[in-house]
Amino acid sequence: MPMTEPVLTKRIPTYPYGDPKDRHAVWYDEYVKTGGYEALAAALEKEPAAIVDTVKDSNLRGRGGAGFPCGLKWTFLPKDYEGQRYLAVNSDESEPCTFKDRMLLDFDPHQLLEGIAITCWACGLQTAYIYIRGEYHEQAVTVQKAIDEAYKNGVFGKQGLMKGKVDFAVDCYLHRGAGAYVCGEETGLLESLEGKRGWPRIKPPFPAVAGLFGKPTIINNVETLACVPHIVQHGSEWFKSLGCESTIGGPPSYGTKLMGVSGHVNRPGVYECDLGFSLRTLIDEYCQGMKGGKKLKAIIPGGISMGVLTADQVDAELDFDIGRKNDLLGLGTACPTVLDEDTDMIMVARNITRFFKNESCGQCTPCREGSGWIYKILCRIEEGEGTTRDLDLLLEIAGSMGAMPGTTICGLADGNNWAVRTIINKFRDEFEARVKPSLVPVTMSV
Amino acid sequence: MAWITKDSATQQIERRDEPYLSDEMTSYYTDSILPRYANKRAALLPILHDVQHHVGYLPFQALEEIATFLELTAAEVLDTASFYDDFFLEPVGKHVIGVCQSIACEACGHETMLGHLCSKLNIEPGETTPDGLFTVRTMECLGSCDTAPCALFGEERQDDLTVEKIDALIDKLSGDA
Repeated sequence: MPMTEPVLTKRIPTYPYGDPKDRHAVWYDEYVKTGGYEALAAALEKEPAAIVDTVKDSNLRGRGGAGFPCGLKWTFLPKDYEGQRYLAVNSDESEPCTFKDRMLLDFDPHQLLEGIAITCWACGLQTAYIYIRGEYHEQAVTVQKAIDEAYKNGVFGKQGLMKGKVDFAVDCYLHRGAGAYVCGEETGLLESLEGKRGWPRIKPPFPAVAGLFGKPTIINNVETLACVPHIVQHGSEWFKSLGCESTIGGPPSYGTKLMGVSGHVNRPGVYECDLGFSLRTLIDEYCQGMKGGKKLKAIIPGGISMGVLTADQVDAELDFDIGRKNDLLGLGTACPTVLDEDTDMIMVARNITRFFKNESCGQCTPCREGSGWIYKILCRIEEGEGTTRDLDLLLEIAGSMGAMPGTTICGLADGNNWAVRTIINKFRDEFEARVKPSLVPVTMSV
Repeated sequence: MAWITKDSATQQIERRDEPYLSDEMTSYYTDSILPRYANKRAALLPILHDVQHHVGYLPFQALEEIATFLELTAAEVLDTASFYDDFFLEPVGKHVIGVCQSIACEACGHETMLGHLCSKLNIEPGETTPDGLFTVRTMECLGSCDTAPCALFGEERQDDLTVEKIDALIDKLSGDA
């Protein structure tokens, strides 16, 4: 059953359900008047374990890019552990093309705070840190104001959740990052929270066992946590009625998803759709088609790490199967960037690689060096100085870096690898037209 | 990010008599920031943000003072501060303009905007105007791809940039000075 009314964007007017011009930040009073914090009240009536079961049963998958089942992650926390545990909220939304969480932070911060409060109750986490990227100055102000309101109204604070309705106190703090993409990687985020450089940690131990300050820690994305109040309030069966099943025997993609479309379309912006929504409908109807009536050339479906789709793949469905069906890394953040026929794909590859080169933390050699070399080769090709041999070299370097071949600690190099490989493989003609033929010495024997 | 090499052994640190961390600042940190975290080091990022907000950048002397305050070594503070792009270890202009250069912005005309901005201010990205008013830097994705091309003017994001819009913003900021 497709969605009939907005869920996450209930208070954020979004096409086709409302006009973005009417958007405004929803503060505590308005939030409560429109049904806010009812889910928290309902959650506090239940046993924490029952909430974890509901979320697990709903099959809510992480909205930050990896799609890891949220409820399952929560069950990794050690049982019978009495001490301090943490929640780290990942709002280090730094993946190019991705801007969906920003909308939630800008306009409905209390929805996130309610999700945080419920998660802390369900998992027994006493302290939550919202790690927000340094570039989100205005959003940091908004979220801080919402946190202050929540404290003032007794949601958080030492008296216990919801004005002491339960004897369990939660503190919630905002922590600003300072311009490092790698801090969106969960263990890089923890390092940064501890006041160190954002170097991802070697796993295991996983954060649920030894995370922030060595204590059990849950790390969830903003949108994932924003889904939690709705699941608690309406139940897992309701959540499973949204979204879609897998058609290739994989895990299902339930619920709605924020999809932020950018690039050469007439009406870019964030839309809320069922998972499994057609990319073509999203572009043609929601975004009102290509800007200037130009032809579609390529789509970066969900953050640059995932790879690219060609115009022929525009009928792809935006769910967690998209990777296996269309030779991509995965759904990522489901924020497509649409590129028209005038776009130079070599520029796209070069731009993406420059990003990874700049943002590599420098810890693992294949990533630090590989991204730099790929960037140099792509610059050479863009200037018309490349040779055919460079294309094979690019594929070789890209294919040998990343966590999947097992050479790096985190997935940053995988992003670079998938982007470069899919762009070259899917647009090889364009690259071949730009490079000079490699001269192969020929020896003749008479 | 990545790696910075510098002549640490021979480098002279500029010093002034008045400390960068005022009593007012340290008591604010002690009362409001330190209690949030399980150890002192975790307060480093919020404190670096605050000092940079007051001073405009992070002088080495200030890093040393922060190190003393948090019971860390100066090297540990520098290690963290030098990792993050948003911490400036050298003086910057009064207004720092960060132009987004990531893919959605480059596909939607970032180059024209950056070129116009640089030629108007007569500087290259990474440089500061001689009057110390403006610094232009390129940044990776600002998280506003739907309004590309965009840029951060100080702490305020400016969306859907055009040449005219840049002119108006620069004129306004120059007038305010």
